[in-house]
Parts: sequence; C-alpha cells; structure tokens
Amino acid sequence: MSLMYEMNEKAFEHGVPLSVHLDVTYRCNERCVHCYLDHDDHGEMTTGEIKGILDQLAEAGTFLLTFSGGEVFLRRDFLELVAYARKLLFNVKVKTNAVMIREHEAQELRRLGVEQIQISVYSHRAEVHDAITKLPGSWARTTRAIRFLKEQGLKVTIANVLMNGNLDDHKGAQALAHDLGVTYTLDPTVSPKMDGDHSILNLRVPGSVLPTVFHDASLVGNVDEYCAAPSTPGEDILNGIPCSAGHTSCYITPYADVFPCVQFPLPSGNLRQQKFMDIWRNSSQLADVRSIRARDLTTCSGCGHVGTCSRCPGLAFMEGDMRGPSTADCEKSFYRTGLPSENMRRQGLTMPAPSPMLQLVQIAPALVQGL
Amino acid sequence: MNNLYIARSSAIASRVLAGETMVMSVTDSTFFTLNEVATAIWQAADGVTPLTDIVTRSVCPEFEITPQEALTDAEEFVRELATHGILQVSEQPIPNQDAAIAGAA
Amino acid sequence: MMPLLEEVALHTPVVQIGGIGIALRTSSARFARMVEDRYDGFVTQEGAAQVSFDVELFDPHERERENARRQGTTLQSWESQFDDPFAEPPDDLAVTCEHRIWRIHRGDFDATWNPQTGHGHIRQTVNPYALDSVLRIVHSLVLAQQGTFLIHAASAIRNGRAFLFSGISGAGKTTISRLAPPDTTLLTDEISYIRKNVQKNGMKQQTAGYRAHGTPFAGELARLGVNCSAPLDTLYMLSQGPENHIDDIHPVEATQMLLRNILFFAHDADLVHRVFEAACRFVERVPVRRLTFRPDAAVWDLIG
Repeated sequence: MSLMYEMNEKAFEHGVPLSVHLDVTYRCNERCVHCYLDHDDHGEMTTGEIKGILDQLAEAGTFLLTFSGGEVFLRRDFLELVAYARKLLFNVKVKTNAVMIREHEAQELRRLGVEQIQISVYSHRAEVHDAITKLPGSWARTTRAIRFLKEQGLKVTIANVLMNGNLDDHKGAQALAHDLGVTYTLDPTVSPKMDGDHSILNLRVPGSVLPTVFHDASLVGNVDEYCAAPSTPGEDILNGIPCSAGHTSCYITPYADVFPCVQFPLPSGNLRQQKFMDIWRNSSQLADVRSIRARDLTTCSGCGHVGTCSRCPGLAFMEGDMRGPSTADCEKSFYRTGLPSENMRRQGLTMPAPSPMLQLVQIAPALVQGL
Repeated sequence: MNNLYIARSSAIASRVLAGETMVMSVTDSTFFTLNEVATAIWQAADGVTPLTDIVTRSVCPEFEITPQEALTDAEEFVRELATHGILQVSEQPIPNQDAAIAGAA
Repeated sequence: MMPLLEEVALHTPVVQIGGIGIALRTSSARFARMVEDRYDGFVTQEGAAQVSFDVELFDPHERERENARRQGTTLQSWESQFDDPFAEPPDDLAVTCEHRIWRIHRGDFDATWNPQTGHGHIRQTVNPYALDSVLRIVHSLVLAQQGTFLIHAASAIRNGRAFLFSGISGAGKTTISRLAPPDTTLLTDEISYIRKNVQKNGMKQQTAGYRAHGTPFAGELARLGVNCSAPLDTLYMLSQGPENHIDDIHPVEATQMLLRNILFFAHDADLVHRVFEAACRFVERVPVRRLTFRPDAAVWDLIG
C-alpha cells in the first residue's frame, strides 16, 4: 500500500489527528443553492484565536490542514493565516470559489507554498454555474482565477457536485477541467443544512442517473471492479471503523466548535473553552464516535455492502442515528452494483424509495404546480 | 574531502509521527518518511553545521553506527533528498532564508 | 371447468459464493431443494443477484424410458438420478464466446450467458455435478473480468489472515486441511475463490491485495467451507517430504505454477490474456512459497 496509507494507519494506531479541516468563516460572496451553511457571522474567531489553534494542532501532530468556509478570501487576514500555518510546516490545502483570486493572490499562494487548491465549478456553461452560485459573473471570474493559479504552477482541482441544476453538464465540466489542465472530481452528495433543514435534499439527482456516472471509467477507474458485487464480508471488515472522522481527522467551525467532520455536525467541544488536546482526548462525543465498528451498526452490519459502501456516519447521524443507515449511500451502493442494501431489504424495497419530493409529485401534481 | 552543508527547503511540509518524520514537497506533492537516523540529520540541517559534525554529534552517539559508515550513508541520503528538492546541499554554508521552526512539533 | 392458465410455481434460490450471487430460476421444486441442500450456507432466497439463469432440466434417457413404457416395463425413475453420487461427468467441455454471448457445453449441460445483462439459460441433466460445473465456470468468467480467479487450492483462515495451499490432485490439499488445528477456519479443501480486497475511499475505491472466500465445492473432505472471507497472506505450493520447511520461489516459476493451478476452461483469446495478467499481478503482490511437509499437524506451526 502507499506510504500515505501507511501513515494514516500509524496515525490511527496512535490516535493522532493527522488531518484537520478548519473553516475560517461562514460568510460567503456566493449563495450556492445546495450549500448546507448559515452565512451570517455569529462571531467568528479572531486572527489571534485561529493562530492559537494552529499552534495547538501542530503540537497535536496534525499534518494536513485544509482551510475552507464560506469563502476564505472574505477574511482580510486569510493570507496571514496561511503564512502562519506554513511557518508551522502544515501541508496546506485551500478550498475557495476563487472569485476573489487575482494575480496577486495567486502569487502569494505560490510563494507561501500552498500544496493544493480546490475550486467548485458546476458547469462549463456560465449561466448554469451562475444559477447555482447565485452570483452573476462568478463562472468567468472563477475560471480566470484558475488560469492565474495554473500560471503560478499551483496544483488545482475542480470539484463538481452533481445535482438537479447541473445534471446534463457534468461531462462538459469534466472537459473544461481537462482543457484547463486540472484534476476533476464529481460527487453526487448533497448534505442537509447544518441547522437540520432537509429541504435542500430535493436537489439530489434521481438515483436512476447514477448508473451512468458509476459506469464511467473516466470518473471511477476500472468499471468491472467498481461495480462488482461486494465480497462476502469477513471478521476484518466487521472490525473496521466507518471512516477517519474522530479517529485521524476532525473539523473546526469558525466559532471554534469541534465536530468529527464537516458533514457530521456533532458538537464535541469548543476551543474557546477547552484546549484542543483536551477535547481530542477527553470528549465524550468523540469517544462515542470512536467506539463504533462495522459490527456495531444496527442495520449495516448485516449488509453485503458493509465492506465497500460509501456510508457516511455523518449523513447517518443527520438521518437520526450515527449507528444507523445512510439512505443516500444505500442508494449509491444499489445503483453501483444493482444489489439492494440490507436497509432496503428490511423495508421490503427492491429499488430505493423515491425522494419525498418525487412522491409528492406522483400523488398530487396540482399541489406541486404552485411551487 | 570537502565539507557538505545541508539546509531544509522551505517548500516543504513536515511533521513528526511516532518517531518518524513525514515530509511532503509542496511543489510536486512527493511524500517521504524519515526514520530516526534520517530525522536526526533532518532536524540538524540548519545550513551552517557541516554534515560531518551533524553525523558525529547527532547520529553516532544516539545510534550505534561507526562515524565512517554514518557519513557515507548520510551523504547518500542527503543527495537523494536534494534530487527531490526538499533539502539543499552545498559545499558552502547556506544562508537562512525563511526560518523554518527546527524539526516542527 | 379447466383453468385457462396453469400457474407454474417458480423457485429462485440464489447461490452466493464470494459475494457473487447466481439466481437459478426453476419450476422444479425438487431441483430447488437439491440446490438449497447441496450449497447449504451459501444459499439465499431474497435479494437481487447480478447473474441469473433460467434452468431447464432434461432426462438423457428419455428415449429409453419411452420405449420401456411402450413395452410395459419401467426404467429407474429419472428423478432418482438426483441421488446418484457416483455419476461420472463426461469429458467434452467447451466454453466459447461468440458475439459477446458465452456458450458452455458438455455432454450433461448446455448453457448460454450474456455478461452484459447478467442473464442466461441452462439446460442440464438432474445430476448435481452438472450444476457444480456450470457454477464454477460462470464464476471463473465473472472473476476473470475483475482480474481474479478460482484456483486448485485448499484455503483456511488463521489469526484473521487467509492461507492458500495449492497443488494438483494428490499434492496434499486434503491432507493439510485435515491436519488444521481448531483455531483455523476451513474455507475449502479443493477450490479456492480469490477476489480483490477493495477498500472504500469516498467515491473512489482502492484495491489492497486479495481476499480468499469459502466455497461449497468440497473435495475428498466432503465438507462445505464456511461462507466468509479474509485478506490473503500467502500462497503455499505444496510438496511432501520428510521435514517441514518453507522455501522461496522465483516469481517466474511462481507465475507458471499459479497458471497451472488456476481453473480455466475458456477458448477465448481475450480471457486467456486477462487470466495471464491476473496471475502476474497476483505474484507481484502475494508471497508465493513452497511448503514441504510431512503428513502431521506440526506443519501448522509454520503457518499464520
């Protein structure tokens, strides 16, 4: 296995938070329709507070640091924070919409030694992208920024989210990424809002489009392997952990809350009240998350997909039970392999249940017309 | 035999994990791990201490290796890291560009 | 009044080996029961399978029975052939691919299978050995597509890792299986089932080595393997000798030995190539060693 994989194994054995995702603000110059955040500033951390946390993370052994938000460049001190992180020798990755990146910012990011920049682009067509970001002109500015960053020799990835608004454009977006000379990832995941509002899940694409995506070798690699029926699970699989959240990674909000992951909003401690190592070692919420093994999952432990499913414990948590199923991932496993999950079987389903929005349309079209 | 001087590049990220040092080049994302001997050399690579001194002071006493063996191994090691751009190697002392915190946490 | 339509009860047991399910649709309740019994532990009724077959049974002695009936005598009931364990399988196996449809033919069965749809048709005698053969062949075709294979080897799990013991008939597969200590889980004493060990990683997946799986294909031990799997540690090529010891094998020789032991039947250039690639990749990743042993339990001190 790769060296990075071995380091992750080692970090797991020693309980080291190797990767941390730090959101420095929830303020944003865009209002993406699928975003899970509340963009008002409720008292984000100061420069000093963030630097203090970076010191603590370096002490704790964190190596991979991702800065994100909101839009990071809305913070005036952002480049100062990056410089501080680089002095502490973090490997820094930045997620940004790049709308505010011009030559100066690109040069700075290069000079400071940012290892990777991830930028969301939702289409090759400006009108489709801008309809999602709700910021006119954003596509033009974002793609121009990508060129500046590439000119500086920086490593850039375009991250696209597959949703109802850009369903027909994902190959176009992929081609755009290719033309710009950047890596491309496509993710059909839309998460509920952090405040518990599930209505944005209506943006999730119908499951029936997923087989095409999953059978695309340019996205998944070897299709025969990717879509194969899962192996009969063994003891090693049942003893496995759901994912790195809480084990070798965690998430910090602009308000100093620690969660296992940005997609797993379980408040586990606040850095304005406790030291990071204190939270990391002693939080009862993190201890609870860490105790979970595949065999402890109420439904999934008996599912053939348990070793290969993309099951996100955070999505399961938001669905009601961190040990329960994540219906969105049941759907993905089904459309990837054609085989229903245990969760589906228990509900007597041979196909995933249609989303609530779709059911409404089928029952009462008249009600939907007004929406 | 001329003295060699070594300095950590600033275009890297690093962190110690259970006795090994992880080093990643931020320019091309190549990733290395340094064992305990290599870590000792890495942490002492300040640009002004000759490699022979680093070896006799930090390597030989800590690890049971003869000075000659240690120096040969060290020279090979530093040239290897230099080819990947994460260590500067020179026959002259290397001035301090950007004070990287020694060894990191 | 005669019913216009007669309802034929349809049974669909799913035989699932290595996680790969094959649904067998049949109108014969007797056949369905035979399947459930023969592959006990590997049969599930519910759940979709990626592969399915409509099974049609035929009586190879139909003409003789007709004649006997006309003459007023009787032949052995055709259904009692279900119970004949000594029926020898005929030798003339042919596995070919034309226009992307596989045809699997032998004296006692004729099957077609479309890998794109996953669906096929089997016409076979009631002898369960015929079904064993069809299943093994279909599995080997599916696995070849994914870069793995079935291999003449015993396999067992010890301390969470799987070990394969390979060799031709008489090499000692059944012997070493019989000698296994109680802390060992036997997967099979005859035909081992290898798949890739896949780890999830967000949307992508990573392959890290291989897994060995239990199968219901029993050799002389006549015992079904346990239906589970474990990551593969080592492939041992068996040899019998006066002392127990393990030696390295050169990768080229290891690949040759592996190829000799892989179950493979198809006359198809593309598939032969795939299997060859699969064997080379396997030897790159899995230690292949020679295990010389005398037939006593002490050999297991060297393993796991």
